[in-house]
Formats: sequence, C-alpha cells, structure tokens
Amino acid sequence: MAYGFDRSRFAENKRAVLDKNLGPLVKTIMTRCIHCTRCIRFATEIAGVEELGATGRGEHMEVGTYVEKALSSELSGNIIDICPVGALTSKPYAFVARPWELRKTESIDVMDAVGSNIRVDARGTEVLRVLPRLSEEINEEWIADKSRFACDGLQRQRLDRPYVRRDGKLKPASWSDAFAAIAARLKGVAGDRIAAIVGDLACAESMVALKDLMAALGAPHVDCRQDGAKLAASPRASYLFNTTIAGIERADACLLVGTNPRWEAPIVNARLRKRWLVGGFRAGVIGPQVNLTYKAEYLGAGPQTLAELSAGRLPFADLLRKAERPLLIVGQGALARSDGAAVLGLARRTAVELGLVKDGWNGFNVLHTAAARVGGLDLGLVPGVGGRDVRGILDGATSGDIDVVYLLGADEIDTSRLGRAFVIYQGHHGDAGAQRADVILPGAAYTEKNATYVNTEGRVQRTRLAVFAPGDAREDWKILRALSDALGRRLPYDSLGQVRSRLAAVNAVFAKPDIVVPAAWGEFGAAGAVDAMPFKSPVANFYMTDPISRASVTMAKCTASFVASGTGKTGTHG
Amino acid sequence: MAHSTHDAKQRSRSGQGGRRARSQPKGRQVDPAALAEVQALLGERPRRRDLLIEHLHLIQDRHHCLSAAHLAALAHEMKLALTEVYEVATFYAHFDVVCEGEAPPAPVTIRVCDSLSCELFGADRLLAELTSKYAEGRKVRVVRAPCMGACDRAPVSAVGHDQVMRATVPRVAAAIAASHDGPALKPATDYAAYIAAGGYKLLRDGLDGRRTRDDLIKAVDDAGLRGLGGAGFPTGRKWQLVRKEAAPRLMTVNADEGEPGTFKDRHYLETDPHRFLEGMLIAAWVVEAGDVYIYLRDEYPAIRHMLLAEIAEIEAAGLARDTRVHLRRGAGAYICGEESAMIESIEGKRGLPRHRPPYVAQVGLFGRPTLVQNVETLFWVRDIAERGAAWFAGHGRRGRKGLRSFSVSGRVKDPGVKLAPAGITMRELIDEYCGGMADGQSFKGYLPGGASGGILPASMGDLPLDFGTLEPHGCFVGSHAVVILSDKDDMKAVALNLIRFFEDESCGQCTPCRVGTEKAAKLMAGGRWDQALLDDLGRVMTDASICGLGQAAYNPVRSVFKYFREDLA
Ligand SMILES: Cc1cc2nc3c(=O)[nH]c(=O)nc-3n(C[C@H](O)[C@H](O)[C@H](O)COP(=O)(O)O)c2cc1C
Ligand code: SF4
Ligand code: SF4
Repeated sequence: MAYGFDRSRFAENKRAVLDKNLGPLVKTIMTRCIHCTRCIRFATEIAGVEELGATGRGEHMEVGTYVEKALSSELSGNIIDICPVGALTSKPYAFVARPWELRKTESIDVMDAVGSNIRVDARGTEVLRVLPRLSEEINEEWIADKSRFACDGLQRQRLDRPYVRRDGKLKPASWSDAFAAIAARLKGVAGDRIAAIVGDLACAESMVALKDLMAALGAPHVDCRQDGAKLAASPRASYLFNTTIAGIERADACLLVGTNPRWEAPIVNARLRKRWLVGGFRAGVIGPQVNLTYKAEYLGAGPQTLAELSAGRLPFADLLRKAERPLLIVGQGALARSDGAAVLGLARRTAVELGLVKDGWNGFNVLHTAAARVGGLDLGLVPGVGGRDVRGILDGATSGDIDVVYLLGADEIDTSRLGRAFVIYQGHHGDAGAQRADVILPGAAYTEKNATYVNTEGRVQRTRLAVFAPGDAREDWKILRALSDALGRRLPYDSLGQVRSRLAAVNAVFAKPDIVVPAAWGEFGAAGAVDAMPFKSPVANFYMTDPISRASVTMAKCTASFVASGTGKTGTHG
Repeated sequence: MAHSTHDAKQRSRSGQGGRRARSQPKGRQVDPAALAEVQALLGERPRRRDLLIEHLHLIQDRHHCLSAAHLAALAHEMKLALTEVYEVATFYAHFDVVCEGEAPPAPVTIRVCDSLSCELFGADRLLAELTSKYAEGRKVRVVRAPCMGACDRAPVSAVGHDQVMRATVPRVAAAIAASHDGPALKPATDYAAYIAAGGYKLLRDGLDGRRTRDDLIKAVDDAGLRGLGGAGFPTGRKWQLVRKEAAPRLMTVNADEGEPGTFKDRHYLETDPHRFLEGMLIAAWVVEAGDVYIYLRDEYPAIRHMLLAEIAEIEAAGLARDTRVHLRRGAGAYICGEESAMIESIEGKRGLPRHRPPYVAQVGLFGRPTLVQNVETLFWVRDIAERGAAWFAGHGRRGRKGLRSFSVSGRVKDPGVKLAPAGITMRELIDEYCGGMADGQSFKGYLPGGASGGILPASMGDLPLDFGTLEPHGCFVGSHAVVILSDKDDMKAVALNLIRFFEDESCGQCTPCRVGTEKAAKLMAGGRWDQALLDDLGRVMTDASICGLGQAAYNPVRSVFKYFREDLA
C-alpha cells in the first residue's frame, strides 16, 4: 500500500468518561478530553474562577467541576474555543449546523460598550452563533457570555412589521399607514411638545438621522442617556475610557468608582485581572463590593468616600499619588443619579488632585454599559437650549407638556411615566417601549445592518450586515429618512455613504474608524453637594440587560441558574 | 491598611446594593455540623494552603473517609475553592473521597501489597483469600496497594497502615483484632544512645564555627558521595549549586521511598534515625536553609511517630536552632518521590512533576532554591566527615568507590538491606551477602534498580553494580533495590506486574505515560506480545514523557524482549 495502513492499529476499547454538567452554556463530551488542562488554566488564570479542576490520577484523571454545578464566570464560553478536541462545546449550538453551511460575517458586539470584535455565523436568515475575533486592543481573543450566547434572542419577539394602535390595540399596518398616523398626530404640534429618547443599542447612523429630524421639527428635547447619567457632550475626555482597554496593562494602580466591571464589561474586568496577575498593581473600590476576581481594597460605598479620597484623607490617595500610571474608572452607577454631575466633578477633581492625568497619560475613565452611548454623546444627542433631559421628558409627558415621544429603541425607561403622550417606538424587539407605543416602526438589530458604534474608549467601529432584518423591518436610518419624507421635512441623504459623510460632518471622529484619538482634557462636572446614597451597579442581572438578551432563551436559563436562584453558582446566598 | 478580598460576586438586585456580600468560597452550602467537626479537628493549626494534605489526613484518620460535607467545610475553613480541595483529595490513594449519595467505605481497610516481591511470595492468593473471607459484612474492605517497603518479609499486608509481615489470612485477622495503633517504634539507637556515642558533635562543631561549610562540602565531594535516592547526582556538587542561589533557601528530605523493592531508607530510619537527622541538619547548615521539610511516605506511620518524638528531642537540645524541621506526610502516591512532584505535594497540591528547567535547586519549594536529598544520602554525611572521605571512598570493587545499601528481596536465602561496596556484582552479592539462592531456586535474572531499572539475566550477573555501569545494557541501579528472580519465575508476568505498577502510579499529566502505561499493560495482558507495536509505544513513552516515571516505565518490557526471549514463546 503506497500511503500506509488503512486501518487504525488501535484495536482496544477506548476509555469512556462520564460527561459533566457545566450549566446552560457549555456542553461536555468528556470522553474526548485529552487532559491538556487549557480549560482549567483559562478558568483559573484568565476568568479567575477556581471551579474547574482535574481530579483523580493517571488514567482515572477527569476534568470537571467535580461537584456538579455550572461554571460561575461571565467568560465561560471561551473554554469552548480553547478546548482543542471538542470535549467542551456550545450547548445552545449543539447539532444546530455544520460550519460549512454558515456564512461568516466579521462584526462588532453591542451587548456592552466594549465593542468586542466578533464573527457572526448565520445560515439563511438566522444567526446561529457568535464567536470572538482577535483584537489585541479590545477583547484579545475572548468575548463575554452574553455577547456569545444572546444571539438566540435575535429570533424571538421580533418586530417584523409596522403597527398602529387603533381602539387601544396595536394592529398590523403598512409602512405608509404608520407614517400617515404619525404625520396626522404631529400636525400642528409645536416643536417643544415633541421629544426623543435614544436607547442603548442605537447605531450612530440612526442617531444622526433622528437628531436631524428633531432639529427639522424644531424639537429641543433629545436625550441619548436613557439611564439619566449626568454626562455632557463635551469635552470628549469627560465621557471616554481615556486610558484605553489595552492601556490598563500599563497602569499600576486603579480606583473603581460605582462600578462592577465584572458584570458591566467582563472584558475590561479580564484586562484588569490580567494586569493584576502581573503584580505591582493595586486596586481600590468605592461602590458595590463584589468578587472582581482580583484583589481590591474596599474603600467605601458612596460619594463621601470619593470626596475624602480626593481631599487626600485616605491612605489610598497616597497610593494613587505615588503611582506612576494610576487610573480611575467611573461607572454609570456613580453618574446615573441625581447628584451625578457633582460626582463627576468630584471624580475629575480626584483625577487632577492625585495626578491621574498628566503628560502622556490620561487615567480618567468612564465605563459605559450601552453600546450606543458614546456615539450619542459624540453626535450631541443631548437636550438643546431649553431642552429637557430624559427625566424632564417623562415629567413633561406625565404632566401633559409633551405630546409626542419618539423612542429610538429606548426600553430602559419607566414607560408608565409616558402619560398620555403619543409614543412612536422604532426598534427591533417587542420589549417595554413597543408595548407602550402608539406606532411601531420595525428596525434592524446589530447583525442586520451596516452600522457604526463607538465603544467606551471612543473607538469608532462598524458592524456588518450578516442577515436581513425579518419581514418588513428596515435599516434604521432609512426608516427615519422615509419618515422625514412623509412629514415633509426630507433629510438630505439617500445612501449610507451620505449618512456617513453627515456623521463625519457632525463629529470628525467618525471619519477615523478603528482607532482611538486621544481626547483633549477640559473642565467638566459640577461642584456641589453629593448625597450619602451608596453607589450601585446599573447591572442587576448580567445576562439580561437589553431587548435582545431579554428575549434570549439561553440568557433566561443563565438567569435561572446563576442569578434568580438563591443558591446559584457563587454561593452568595445570604 | 485593611485589605478585603472580594470573595463573592454580588448577586443582589438593585436596592440591596450596599450589603456586604458573603465572602466565601463558591460552591455548595457548608453544613454547620461538618464545619464544626472540621474546625475542632484543625484546632489551632494554621489554615495555610500548603497544609491541605495534612488537614485532609486529620479528617481521613478520624472518619475513615472524606465526605462531601467535610470537604466543603474544609474548603470553607481554608478559604480554598472546593475544586482545589477535590483535586488534591482525589489524587492520593490514601484518601477515600465519598460523594453525596455514595456509601462510605468500611471502617477497616486491609491493603495487600501486589508489587513484585510480594507477588513472588503469593500476594495474589492472599488477596483472593482475604477478599472472599471479608466479602460479607461491612466492617472490612480489602484493596490492593503498591510496595510498602518491607519486601524482605513478603508478602506484606497492612491493616489501616499497620503492616503485617509474611502475611497470612490468620495473621491479618489477628492484626484486625489487635489494637489499631501498631506497636510504638523504639529505634535501636535513640537520642541518648546516639549522643553517648559522640553524636551531634559534628553538627555542633559546624554551628559553633569549628568546621567550615567548605570543609564539609569538600569531605562529601572527596568521598564521592552520590544521591542514593536513585539519580546518583554528586552530593557535594548539589550543595554548591544550591548555595550559589539567592537566599532564602530551603531544604527537603525525600523519605518517600516508593520504588518497589526499596526499603533501605526505612531500615536506617528505624535503626539509627539520628545519624540521618544529624546529616540533615548539617546539610541544612551548609546550604543555610532555614526550613527543612521531611516528606515521609504514609506507609511508615510508626516511623512518623518516632521521628516526631526524636525531632522534639533535638529541638529541645537546641540542635535545630537555625533550622525549623517540618515533618510532612505523604498520602499514597509513588510519583511524589520524584523531587519536583514531592515539592508540589509539600505545597499541598497534586503531585505533578514539574518541567525542567528551572531545576529545583533554582526554583523549588515555594519558589525558593531548594536542596532535595534522599534519607540515605544524608545518613552517610556524619561518617564521611568524621572518618574521612578516604574511608568511604576506600570501599568499592572494580574501581568503583563507596558504600551502597542494597535492598535485597526475592529468591535468596537471606534477604534484607545489605551494605556492600559499590561495584559488587550480583553473583557476589547473592553469595557473599545473602546466603545464596533460596532452596530449590536457581538464579535466572534480577532487577538491579527496582521497578524502573530494567531486568538483567543471570548471564549478566557479573556486571559491576553502580551508577553508570548498567546503562549500556539498558538498565540502571537507581535506588539499589534488587529483586532476585529464579527459574520458577515467568518474566512476562514480572514485566506485567511492573508495568501495572506504573499504570497505577502515573500522575496522568502527560499522555505518553498516562495512556502508554495503560495500553502497554493491556497489550501485554493479552497473551502474545507484539514486539513491533510494544517497542513503538515504549519509544514514545521514553522519548516524550515529562519525568522519570514515564521515561523508565518501559524498561522492564524492553529487557524481556532483549534478555528473556525464551519466556516469550
Ligand atoms: C518516578 C521517580 C520516583 C522517585 N522516587 C524517589 C523516592 O522514593 N525516594 C527518593 O529519595 N528519591 C526518589 N526519586 C529521585 C528524586 O527525584 C531525587 O533525585 C532524589 O530525591 C534526590 O536526592 P539524592 O540526590 O539524595 O538522591 C525518584 C525519581 C523519580 C523520577
Ligand atoms: S480544554 Fe478540552 S481537552 Fe483540554 S482539558 Fe479541558 S476539556 Fe479536556
Ligand atoms: S511521565 Fe508519567 S508520572 Fe511523569 S509527569 Fe508524565 S504522566 Fe506524570
């Protein structure tokens, strides 16, 4: 025989190993395991959870959690990618498709504000799985479990046609009916009785179109901070993660203010842990006390501690001052509160007083949780002169001063406070906003459009269309463009290229995708009193933070096993 | 500044934000009763991670098993992840991990040694008889176990860890009936006797500056003392290498003696422990190691109790004033005799050999430069220093130098530890030291170095036995454990016994060894041996294994192909 023996010389029975239960995300076929321990090392070193291990000796060795329980890490899905033999596979994706049947599209994740680089694998109209793409600057080769597994939510509760509320009920409608209903309602309404709120998943293209439309209608009440964060649209350094994610590795001290990065941005947290593992790095926490997977000194719960720190009255202040490259990370939990502007001012003062901002180093960082937020601020989707912010808009709607509210995928607001206002909801999921809507305009999710997002670092990145939006749903900027036509205030762009030129005209950063342009430092935040309320993380359940993950069956399973149950995987039953 | 490690992930929903999350290891709830028991057992002992195995022993000794509840409680108490505790507990043969819903093992465990020397003397039958005798009832379980270091009194069995020599069913039954703590061990030469004979003078001379460290190094160097744990590395050179590394330095003593057929360390520990302890303290003084860890195999409980008492004596006498002596207990894992695996085990982990470099002399225990020395190596230090290097080097035949302690077992009249000159041949050893072959047995072959050292035929019984002399023949003396085989013995069975030992004891870290030993055992048990296939497998194991276990495991099989072809038919 020219090319060797055609049968295996291995005639003996092969060893069989019992499969392990690692929870709703990772399926195990442990007979395949070759004991390389990559998964164990990933879990203990990178994810920082010591739950996977090798038990037994020699041929009796087995890899697992030993005690049957799910792996309590927001990064657990990555062990699927690193297992060299397929002993660990994706539970939701098991037996769903063959790789060669899939269309692979390189894109950007929007489940948090990190902007992880991903690859979207689709067959037909369905996104079947999401995998990480290597990006040393952002997510290295990892992604968070929500980014990877929430994609089944793209198939469920989709808005696939326009709806118009008639006799109190939402009825399917045609695009022209929907536009006609809006035009009818807007007729004669003064600009300052119209408002718009932008949600967390909105792309820059749709936001600029919304901004232009609202301007055309003479409406000053526009806000992209649906959580009420007290961030202004300038200077840019006041709302960016200036150090950059990769820059964390150069830092030698870190102060976390009002944030739980493990749930708000697992990828950023993994970088912090990576830095901590190298040594010579001290972290301090003001805010929620959680297991961050690295050692962090607990300094206090709320703004007072920050005030004391900025005045140099805590030993940690000294540590920051002496550090060569200290950084501070302010979370939305510190800013989305009534004293948020004062806290921001305090954070700025801390940064200045303790030497966090200096030549060649900007250690002031805002950690966002919404993929849309930085883009919205870059485009100035904040109230204009005389305009109301989110809270003001809802107050106005309740009191009857606002007649029409346009929700661009805004679901995280208290919809019960929309009063009797006429609500237009543009978005892709039948979530809170759509339920309250009078007219629904079905839009496209991030996998269904070529869209621009700006991550928490201020990095402009683009998603690519992987599948078409279902049914009658359309790309979001096109919907706004069509609506403007119906309202007789046609927006001046007809193609994606033209919208993008418009983006760059509004803010030049949009002309430079994929890089981080250092932002100039400036004055921001407010002086004034802070109150005693402790900071708390905006993320109460990592697995469900937006309409897509809320629609996901997999994320619901995770919530059941990790969050809802009193004695889930972290043992914080108490 | 108070540090607080955030041990628990916050799960509280909004509104409960400010509460301090429970700082406790992830995993199941801890049973308060089990926790109280574990706390009581641990008492004031530190909860340091490196003491994990010691603490597991406390639980196993008291409860005869490690229940899931106790392990969870221990993890909680030591602030370790539950998985870490399980990883360690399941690695060692002397721990019985009982999962939830499983029945605990019987309170009495009879271990029957099934290693080569015992097998030659009917361990198989003994195991079968004991198993059937105790098949009924829940009080006693019978398991097989590897070499217990008493091969000259085979077959050996143990009730708990108390050994029964020349075991028979009635003797084992009697041992069960007798007390569970074996007779206390009184060394032939105890502290008083040792001092009376001039003991610890050398150490005092060193400590008080009457002898220099270089002087001692030179003495062992000139004597040609080599590591007697098996590798034969020149001892003086090792001391110098370790001394060159940055302080603080540490020392470990390898008293794991797991190589089947080896029992010389046991012999010296039982008869003259202070000669070893003095050598140990001198070595620690030479390399300026502030802490010495003795890693003693769990099969020698009597020695452990005795050593604790004797160490207390020397500490009371101020002889260990610059050296803290720690006695650590193995837990049934041959691989922990390999020096880097031993170090892992002392650190409280699974005994997985480390990759080298760095060598343990550079990065060893707790990341510090570490001197690792076998018991017997240290045993000779005092005599060499006092009687002079020439005295030690003056022994030897055929140009080889020094004294060697052969652990002799198998088919000879008078087995035991034989102190003989290096370079002696097998025939000389049998005739001059062991009273010749046992009656009715004729010399057919021998294991020169325990399970790993290969097998040589009687026709090569005139080779000088020493480090380096047997390598050209595919064998080595290692720890000088010789097992003499006769015309009554089937070499295929011998090799199968040895490979099964390696299969059981492979740590499982690298595939060639883990899978190779298991496959080789299967192929060999299957009847006809396929030489091409087995040799192929053996080559992979030898070339690609991380440590000596996997590298040497195939030696006996290769020897059978080479020297005992008539047995293959
Ligand atoms: C698989 C394996 C098992 C070993 N078992 C022992 C042992 O039980 N006792 C021992 O002293 N050395 C043992 N060694 C040798 C040690 O690794 C080490 O070389 C020795 O303890 C060093 O001390 P020495 O120089 O005084 O001999 C073993 C080596 C290997 C590869
Ligand atoms: S990564 Fe896969 S093959 Fe490697 S140890 Fe883990 S389960 Fe086994
Ligand atoms: S050769 Fe065997 S015992 Fe040694 S490290 Fe590899 S698997 Fe473990």
